[in-house]
Amino acid sequence: MLRRRWVDALVVVVVVVAFVLAPQAYSNETLLFQMMVYIALSQGVNILYGFTGYLPFGYVGFFGIGAYGASLLMLHLSWPPILALLGGGAIAVLLGLLLSPLLRLSGAYFAIASLAASQAVYLIVSNPSLQNVTYGPYGIQLVSQFNPTLSYYVMVAILALTVAVVLYIRRSRFGTALQAMRDDPVSAAMAGVPVVRQRTFAWMISAAIAGVVGGAFAWQTSVFYPDAVFSLSISIFAIVFTLFGGAGTLLGPLFGTVVLYGMYNTIGISDPQYFQLIYGLLIILLVLFLPDGAASLLKRRGTHVL
Amino acid sequence: MKQLRRYLFGLAGVAALLIAGCGSTTSTTTSSTAPKDISIGTLYAGSGSYATSSLPELAGLKFWMNQVNKSGGVFVKAYNKKIPVKLVDYNDQSDANTAQTLYTQLITQNKVNILVSDFGSVLTSVAVPIAQEHKMVLFNPTGTGASFFTPNNPYIVLTGLPTSAVWPDNLAKYLLSQNFKKVAIVYAENDFDQSQDQTLTTQLKAGGVTPVYNQGVPTTTSNYDVIIHNIAQANPDAVLELGYPNNDIAFLQNLAASGQHFGFLFTIFPGQELSLLEQNVGVKTLTNTWTYPTPPLLAYNSGVNYGMTISQFNQAFQAANGSAPNFLDIAGYNTGLVIQKTLETAKSLSQLDLRAAAGKIHMFTLDGNFTINKEGAQMGETLPVGQLQASGSSLKTVIIYPSAVATGTAVH
Repeated sequence: MLRRRWVDALVVVVVVVAFVLAPQAYSNETLLFQMMVYIALSQGVNILYGFTGYLPFGYVGFFGIGAYGASLLMLHLSWPPILALLGGGAIAVLLGLLLSPLLRLSGAYFAIASLAASQAVYLIVSNPSLQNVTYGPYGIQLVSQFNPTLSYYVMVAILALTVAVVLYIRRSRFGTALQAMRDDPVSAAMAGVPVVRQRTFAWMISAAIAGVVGGAFAWQTSVFYPDAVFSLSISIFAIVFTLFGGAGTLLGPLFGTVVLYGMYNTIGISDPQYFQLIYGLLIILLVLFLPDGAASLLKRRGTHVL
Repeated sequence: MKQLRRYLFGLAGVAALLIAGCGSTTSTTTSSTAPKDISIGTLYAGSGSYATSSLPELAGLKFWMNQVNKSGGVFVKAYNKKIPVKLVDYNDQSDANTAQTLYTQLITQNKVNILVSDFGSVLTSVAVPIAQEHKMVLFNPTGTGASFFTPNNPYIVLTGLPTSAVWPDNLAKYLLSQNFKKVAIVYAENDFDQSQDQTLTTQLKAGGVTPVYNQGVPTTTSNYDVIIHNIAQANPDAVLELGYPNNDIAFLQNLAASGQHFGFLFTIFPGQELSLLEQNVGVKTLTNTWTYPTPPLLAYNSGVNYGMTISQFNQAFQAANGSAPNFLDIAGYNTGLVIQKTLETAKSLSQLDLRAAAGKIHMFTLDGNFTINKEGAQMGETLPVGQLQASGSSLKTVIIYPSAVATGTAVH
């Protein structure tokens, strides 16, 4: 038990130290920041998909509403950025609560419905009739709050917290209950697991992560239009990174993001056509031979993957 | 213990991968001797919704670079010599988040001397705070969002068009001069188009005309069928469709298919990308429609005191690239000219000196008059109102308003 706690603490420390030191070795902090964003988002997807089996194609809706929520709190109510990020997370949780009836669906139906919901949120936020509230299609300007260094270290803290939450879920009875529901919800309910409540709770944790991360992204970017924070590619990246590394584990999505986002920023930028080819091939190979992600390679050998 | 050791190695591996996967550090040394080249960093959209506009802009900038390098490079006053120009370009695939990373890459890793933004406001928006943070002047060819230009940001220069809210000035005046009482406007919901709608409605209302139809649609709209019929029900004297090229194409295609006809129809992008619009909607549909003519449709030959005239450019560009240039090719080339003039007059390569030099430039190029205000926004260029009229089996652009630059009369 004690050793587990040491290992968990070590994981958080390694992640924090790696991202605190990384700018010393590589000065493109924007890239490092976005890598942290995607690691946190893929962990958010992991909580939902890896632990409950619900694949949220519209996950970007929480990210976008968090970005807008935090920005509007800073602009309209003059909240300090860190408090506004938490506000963005709270707004995402409220949205999650509002959309919780979607959890009555499952499989592809849930994936499509969540996608439609995220598009609805996008269209509401970017509606010119709400210009006085959301700035509509004109986008957000947070230039007076722009602080890339502080926002970077706040993002490190958010990432550490996200990793800690996933570790907790993985170790706790709550996580075990979620996995039982994922495998067989009827049996889990019969065994006394409050399926609806637990699943909704996981959904809201996942929403909170995306919301806070969206707020941090808005703070760091400081000038953006609605389509930048509601872009479907954000959902797709987070899902692919999770699936590549291995859903249901902590290190899988972390590994998936570092490898695939690293690839995206090397060959993906200079030679996008080759990148798309390689990306496509990787996904085909993954689906055919490693449906449980890269982590399953180790699992097959009997190695426990955290 | 063995398990713990395995975790330790695993985690160390991930950490190492993280740092190694991000690349290596580059040297940050500076030198007082002349650099072997002037590096210009820019982004382009090789795919996605902005590719049709971004690629010509890049082609124009490359054309300028090749022209300059043929003559031994660009004259840099700070070193009193000509220095070759090198372009570092990355593909942002029309994605603003990718663009954000790549702008930082150009500044922190490639350490370019000059930073040029990608096409349009969306892909420029993310560059504005990054350039300001890194104290790099952002040479901005076509990002016309008014909010980019603020008194506390000395690190931006709009090289091409005026800010979008200024575009419809002449259009509003022309509509009022024609006594159009019933004006219908449909605009795409984005900064570029909505700011034009606001300017138009304000100016029309000041002239006593309240639009009978004024509707925003998502920028992704690809079917205007219902909207066209709704507009027709209002029986307007003039219809203005404000969008990006994809919106204009969809609107004009749907209009042609609907059988409806409007006496005065205005769209934006035929004036910038005529051949693209001709290919997609046909000459017949475009005949007698109205637009903002921009170079090369607006031909600046006399009065040009820096760089090629429009005729020289058309000829040289066609010879080099095998295709006739459009406005965005010219916007890219014109950006090169602004950079060239800046380097010719700046006392050093420091970014504030470059910005100060750009602020003092007053020149007339093939793109028109170049003058920026204190915030870096382009003030010299204005957009006239023109009509696309039939000329045999093709179209010719006739400038109608203002009368001082008119080249013909309107056909109704």
